[in-house]
Amino acid sequence: MTVRSAAREVFGFFFVLGRRTGRTRTFALLGLIPVALAVVARVFLRGRSGDMAAVSTEILMVFFLQFYIIILALFYGTSIAAEEVENRTLVYLITRPVPKPAIVLGKFAAYTALMGGMTALGLAASFFILNAARVGDPALWAAFFRYLGVLVLGILAYTAFFAFLGTVLKRAIILGLVFGFGWETAIQYFPGSTQRFSIVHYLKSLLPYRPGSGGGRGVALLLFRLEPTAPLLAVLALVGITAAFLALTCVLFRAKEHLSED
Amino acid sequence: MTAVISAVKLSKWYGNVLGLNDVSLEIEAGITGLLGPNGAGKSTFMKLATGQLKPNIGTVAIHGRRTWNAPDLFRTVGFCPEPDAFYEDVTGFEFVAGLLRFYGFPKKEIGERAERALDIVDLAKDKDRLVRGYSRGMRQRVKFAQAIAHDPEVIILDEPLSGLDPLGKRKLIKLIKGFKDEGRTVLFSSHVLPEIEALTSRVVLVHQGKVLAEGDVPYIRELIEAHPHMISVRSSDPRRLAARFVGDPAVLKMTFGADGRTLVVETRNRDHLFAGLTAAVVEAGIEVEEISSPDDNLQAVFEYLVGK
Repeated sequence: MTVRSAAREVFGFFFVLGRRTGRTRTFALLGLIPVALAVVARVFLRGRSGDMAAVSTEILMVFFLQFYIIILALFYGTSIAAEEVENRTLVYLITRPVPKPAIVLGKFAAYTALMGGMTALGLAASFFILNAARVGDPALWAAFFRYLGVLVLGILAYTAFFAFLGTVLKRAIILGLVFGFGWETAIQYFPGSTQRFSIVHYLKSLLPYRPGSGGGRGVALLLFRLEPTAPLLAVLALVGITAAFLALTCVLFRAKEHLSED
Repeated sequence: MTAVISAVKLSKWYGNVLGLNDVSLEIEAGITGLLGPNGAGKSTFMKLATGQLKPNIGTVAIHGRRTWNAPDLFRTVGFCPEPDAFYEDVTGFEFVAGLLRFYGFPKKEIGERAERALDIVDLAKDKDRLVRGYSRGMRQRVKFAQAIAHDPEVIILDEPLSGLDPLGKRKLIKLIKGFKDEGRTVLFSSHVLPEIEALTSRVVLVHQGKVLAEGDVPYIRELIEAHPHMISVRSSDPRRLAARFVGDPAVLKMTFGADGRTLVVETRNRDHLFAGLTAAVVEAGIEVEEISSPDDNLQAVFEYLVGK
């Protein structure tokens, strides 16, 4: 089997399997929190479209970009190799005619598809509940797809990075938490080029907001030091991060012996 | 005959722990049993043979091809692992069919093969139940089904009979014997001699990471028979019983238990000793309450062989 065809089969197996796990159910429910917030905001801010647009931006920036995609990528990404070792199921995959990189690529594709689906669902529901009055406006749809694109790029980059961590380390979650909610948050307040050593910098560079462009307090805090990278460069950087960490994960996963605790 | 699985000076260690030490082995078509107590190195050998581990020293190959990072090789190899580990949220059918996807079979054939494999292990009726809800025996059988569903030429089974009820064991033994008639190669491990005996006469004894002996079962039996056996007899009058065995050339040593009712006899000839015990009961009227053999297990035999 070629890596491509094997990865396709691995994708099919884990896409089905991934949908059934308790983890997916939990994260899908978590993704509905902004929907509930949107409903509440809509009830209390009835007729104040400016305020609702601000809430919409807050939900996107604070919940999805700074929390949801990171936590999703952390748990799914680190599990690509680690869950097979911990659950002692890796034997079922590596004693098949499947090249090891295909296992990484197939699981990566399956899990990012699941995460993308959960994110898209939560984002679409909350976004259109808050902007229901403008649903016929093409600019609103353009903004929605831009947000979605940014989140998908974020999921890909973070998942690739965490997959790498999960392959290198046995307890990758803790370091992943430090990276996702420590480094990625703190570095945004550093001036100059230091910000470029984070994934979130490139994601924020793709958003239509700039410092002082409006939004709530959360958005203002997240953007106040942003020195954006040009959009094309930001996309290339995110694709590069994804490709580099995926390639590293494949190489390591192939070379490494995966020993379970026993 | 040419070797199907061959190991040359194979060694594997986990940190400071030695898993396998300088093992050279040739396994031919037919059924071969790896016999050894828990922790002997059987699973390590199987993990090396199935490419899960990389040898530290030496080589292991199937049909002359090294097994580490050789995925194409596994088109013709089936492996049933020992741990009770599964993808729990799938049905038995989905488990077997899902793993069959990795061989590139057409979708229809995948379904047919999965159905057939599950039918062979008597899980056809339960194929749509989640693996999570299977009993231990069913889980063992579905694990076996995934190992044979793609009709492999080489089948490697790590403790395949553990967790099965006697009927399940009998069926699986019959099935494995059938593989031999089809010209396939089966390597299986067990720490229970009668299980190995029921399947094959070709045995490799493994202990502390080393191959102690290779041969047929009668040879192994002979080794075991040469091992001094401990027989513990609880009776109403152990001293009178002991007096009957004093001077008996088959008796090497006798000790009395702390309870004052037990006599422990060390002998090289168990049959002779049991005949003597029967005579003691019949002729001297000594009441025997219990006879047991405290060291009648494989571990004791292996320790004896190692110390020899």
